[in-house]
Amino acid sequence: MLDKLVEKSRIKSPWIYHINTGSCNGCDIELIALLGPRYDVERFGVKLTGTPKHADIVLITGPVTSQTKDRMLRVISQIPDPKVIISLGSCPMSCNVFKGSYSVEGPLDKWVHVDVAVPGCPPKPEAMIDGIIKSLEILKEKRGLK
Amino acid sequence: MDILIKLLLDAFYVLVFPGFLFCFFFGLLLSGIDRKLVARMQRRIGPSILQPFYDFFKLFGKDNIIPRQASKIAFLMAPFLGLVSVVVISLFIPVFGFTFVGNTADIIVILYLITIPALALIIGGSSSSSPFASVGISREMVTMLSYELPLVLIFLAVGKKAGMAMNGNVTFSLAEIAKYQSTVGLMISNWALIPAAIAFLMIIPAEVGVVPFDVAEAETEICEGPLVEYSGIYLALYKLTQSTKMIIMGSLFIALFFGGAGFNNIFLNIPLLLISVILVIMVSVSFVRSIVGRIKVEQTLKFFWTVPTVLSLISIILVYLKF
Repeated sequence: MLDKLVEKSRIKSPWIYHINTGSCNGCDIELIALLGPRYDVERFGVKLTGTPKHADIVLITGPVTSQTKDRMLRVISQIPDPKVIISLGSCPMSCNVFKGSYSVEGPLDKWVHVDVAVPGCPPKPEAMIDGIIKSLEILKEKRGLK
Repeated sequence: MDILIKLLLDAFYVLVFPGFLFCFFFGLLLSGIDRKLVARMQRRIGPSILQPFYDFFKLFGKDNIIPRQASKIAFLMAPFLGLVSVVVISLFIPVFGFTFVGNTADIIVILYLITIPALALIIGGSSSSSPFASVGISREMVTMLSYELPLVLIFLAVGKKAGMAMNGNVTFSLAEIAKYQSTVGLMISNWALIPAAIAFLMIIPAEVGVVPFDVAEAETEICEGPLVEYSGIYLALYKLTQSTKMIIMGSLFIALFFGGAGFNNIFLNIPLLLISVILVIMVSVSFVRSIVGRIKVEQTLKFFWTVPTVLSLISIILVYLKF
């Protein structure tokens, strides 16, 4: 019975954690707009956490720069299972306008497994909500170590 | 036979009614109501009222990560210490005069026990070996230091008022305070104690650790402070402790200032207590939380050692002057 409750609760309380890997801050501002009164993702139980240890969903913005790559991998490894990784915006998907730069080591899926990718520069808040809802289904299937 | 019945009754008190199960269900429900109210006040739709239950059970299914440098025993035992102490306090709270466990000096016991959840947070944070946690615990200690003084003064004012009518001394028994209120009238109807009641309402957010005074757990600057390394079940226990503290502070307010009211029947009194706790939390936590921002730690100390301390001192002086 406890397992059933846990399964049911898992998709109703996704806590998100946000990593910026050298983004221009456009996607980050749009992400924060999700938590405001207009889009209010808290109605799905989403909470922005301050520490990777509490998170279920990781949102990664920015082309992965050489300075942030190792730190990003270290932070991702600290997130307890089950976790879902969403890449937010065009930068983590293709490095966008930063492609070919000496300091960019993207795209993101070279380094980690990306579950959901939300394109756009920056993506619309509606698209981000859609990405979060899609990632819940993946989270349900992942189940984690237990 | 009598001993057996008494044992069963005690087990019921500890595990079911004012004890663990009640704290679990009503505490999480109360924090759900609080979150929904704040969302509605900010013109958001907000999470469902059952959201804290979902959070709690989700954390049960998460992986536990223990930092390699953490001192393991203290790190894992601290959440249990905090939870056990709040469950024990809940046994001492009277439901409009009806007390469950001993009634000679329960205010002193409550005063000691109420610091333990904060202390558990400090122990857990300091054993997790995280720099964010060490900043958080130093702030937690300052917050504790700031609200303890006015809290003790409020208990003294109310205790003196009730004790003067009984035997002339300060009383430290919540049952006696309730008895005084049912014979003489509510504490809140006495204008000398209104400043103390206002001061108590100001202390509740700091005690629970919500927005204007949550500098110890500031998630945007120090990554939730002492909780930074916690995950899984242990984090869920901390969240449960925090919401249980909300019931305890709410029902303490009711016991101190509205204690004598209520019906003669305990089964009618319990829903009345729950409704009044929700109202107290709405006024002192949700409403404040939705309109103000976080203040700095030195501002917290300055605020508590000026406004609530002066208010409760005024109450004490008025009570001693027999107003």
